[in-house]
This record gives sequence, structure tokens and C-alpha cells, in this order.
Amino acid sequence: MHGSAEDPLIARVADALRRPAPLTPDFDTRVMAAVRRAPPSVPLRAWAWLREPRAVVVSPLSGLAMAAGLAGLLLVGTWSVVRTGGGGGVASAAFRAGAGHAAGVAVSAARTASPVTFVFVAPTARSVALAGDFNDWDAARVLMRREASGLWTVDVPLTPGRYRYVFVVDGRRFVADPSAPRAVGDDFGTPTSVVTIGGGGTHAAGGSL
Amino acid sequence: MRQGDSDGVLVRRVLEGDTEAFSGLVARHRERGGRFAAAMLGDPADAEEALQDAFVRAFRSLRTCREPDRFGAWFLRILVNRCRTRGAMRRRSAAVFVQDDVAMERASAPPEGDQEWREEIARALARLDAMQREAFLLKHVEGLEYEEMARLTGARIPALKMRVKRACDHLKVLLREVDDARVR
Repeated sequence: MHGSAEDPLIARVADALRRPAPLTPDFDTRVMAAVRRAPPSVPLRAWAWLREPRAVVVSPLSGLAMAAGLAGLLLVGTWSVVRTGGGGGVASAAFRAGAGHAAGVAVSAARTASPVTFVFVAPTARSVALAGDFNDWDAARVLMRREASGLWTVDVPLTPGRYRYVFVVDGRRFVADPSAPRAVGDDFGTPTSVVTIGGGGTHAAGGSL
Repeated sequence: MRQGDSDGVLVRRVLEGDTEAFSGLVARHRERGGRFAAAMLGDPADAEEALQDAFVRAFRSLRTCREPDRFGAWFLRILVNRCRTRGAMRRRSAAVFVQDDVAMERASAPPEGDQEWREEIARALARLDAMQREAFLLKHVEGLEYEEMARLTGARIPALKMRVKRACDHLKVLLREVDDARVR
């Protein structure tokens, strides 16, 4: 199946361009050598299990309850992050609500690993985990703690660098952080967020929907 | 690789730890990827590097391929982005076309006139805006529908249609004379 080129000249151009382009004879060998040197960045079996589609039933009533709860939690959530900042070396955070959740990441960076607090508001979630470049995308390794308000938090020690991450809700849904920039150029179709930890000083990362 | 294995089967085998199964995907998709990258970038060596890079990235991120049976479309998306990145890095001069004699020798010796025609096309493609070139190749060479192009490129359908139209108009201006002489 090819695009219909009504103009005969364009059809001839397209026809010429469909012919194979030459590749070096050892192309496959070089690709496979590079592939063997570049192991997958996640435990594939675990990821395959996690991304299996599972039905999630949300009744209209529970949806309304979630929305109402979220509106209240936004206020509480803001207070919670600031409070955390006072006790755990976290300076500040920015987060906004989105699709039933609010989330954010607060960063205290140094040249060595420093605790980074990830925050996610999901009042109806039974569990929330964090998967990213920093834990080989293994959601089982970083489970977030639920506070009374429905705020989920976890501290992860990170060295300066750029990290992609995603929240895993109830072990089955992958939710990008609505308050953080989306990873760009990753090409892969699964939305992920990105946080950059600088080499010095303290800063907060966050974005908007 | 067993001859009849579908992309979906191969992807699942790789996900289960059979790294060598990925070679089946490389063998199946290198030709299409190679011609797209070559037409996009103009330079065979650049095209091959972009293609290799795209395969390695695809392997590393295979977990995010949500529809293993449509690996080809997913891989093309990665390759398009690799070509964009490489093209931006290189900041190619609009009129540059690299004649790679070694690569041409490896090709299945096309007739002389045909080779000249392909070189003219390559020069004309190199003079297009990169986004127009990309849209033209996806539409008229790879045969994608506009909906799929929109998913792949992130651009809106009206913008893509405009890019394709402008690319066609530009190519017709650039190639009309040589095409007339060729088909006469």
C-alpha cells in the first residue's frame, strides 16, 4: 500500500525512492553486537506483567466522590509538601491536579546522592509505586507511603542527572506526573515524566498540565 | 528466527529474554528503515548510523511497544525521531548530496540513466524543508495514511497535508525538466 500520487512525476519519484538503499554487508552483525552491549533498561518480565491491560471499573458515583475528594486534598496536599520540606531537607514543590490525581517532585540536589521527594495525590488508590531510570523501572522496589490525606510520598536518593519516571497506580496503571515535564524524544508511546537534578544547590522541579 | 514468526512473536520472545530473536526484527525492518533514513538524510553513512541507533533504542525500550504485532509502525516512529535528531545535529547544507561510490557499488548496479535519476531526486529532496521531506516520504513512499502520520509525527493532519502538497509542488519544479528529458 502506497500513497496515491496522482501526478505521474511524483509517482515516478516515489517509485525510485522505494528501491532498497544499500547497507553495509555486516549491518545486522553490528546492530546485534550493539544490542548485546545494551541490555534492556528494565526487568522485562516484570514490565510485561505490569503493562498487561486490566479492566478498571469506576462508577459515576465513585467518580464524583473522587473529584470532590481531590478538590479538598489539593489544599491539604500543598500543606503536606511544605511540611515535608521542613523536616526532610526538601525545599519546595510544585504540583497541580490532573485526571483525578495531583503529583509533584521536590528536589534537593547536591553532587552526591540527595533525597528527592516524589509526591502523588490519589485518594482512591490502593497502592502507588514509583518506577524510573533510577530503579531499573522496577515498580516493586519503590513503593510510596500513603498519608492520611490520600497523599502518597517517597524519598529516593538521586545523584545529579536526568531521570525519567512514572507512577504505577494499583500495580496496573502508569500515570505520568502531571506537574512535571514530559520526557521528549523517547519515541516509545508510553508517557513518562522527567526530572533533572542539578549539580549543586537546591531546586524544585514541576510543571503544569 | 523461524521463518514464519510474526513481529508479535519475535517481540514477545525478546521480552522473555531471547535477545537473538531481535535479529529477526532487524532483518525484517532494515530495508524499509534503510530507504527512509537514506532519503531523509541523503548520506548513506549517516542513514546507516541513524538506523542502527534506532534499532538499539527499540531494543532497549521494547517494553513500551504496546502493540507487538505493529512493531514496524512503532519502530518507524523511533527512526523518524532519530533522523530528525541527526538532521538537526548535522545542519546539512541544502544543496549537499554526498556521492558515496562504495555504497553505490554495493547497490545492485542500476542502469546508468536510472542512477542519474536517483541522484537528481536525492538532490531535489535535499533542497526540501526537512518536515516537508519527512511528510512526503511517509505519505508517498511508505504509503501511510494521514491519521497514522499524525500519530507518528505528532503533527496535525492539515499541517501534514500542507507539507506533502508543498513538497510535491517543490519536487515538480525541481525535477520537471530532467523528468521530461528522461521520459521523452
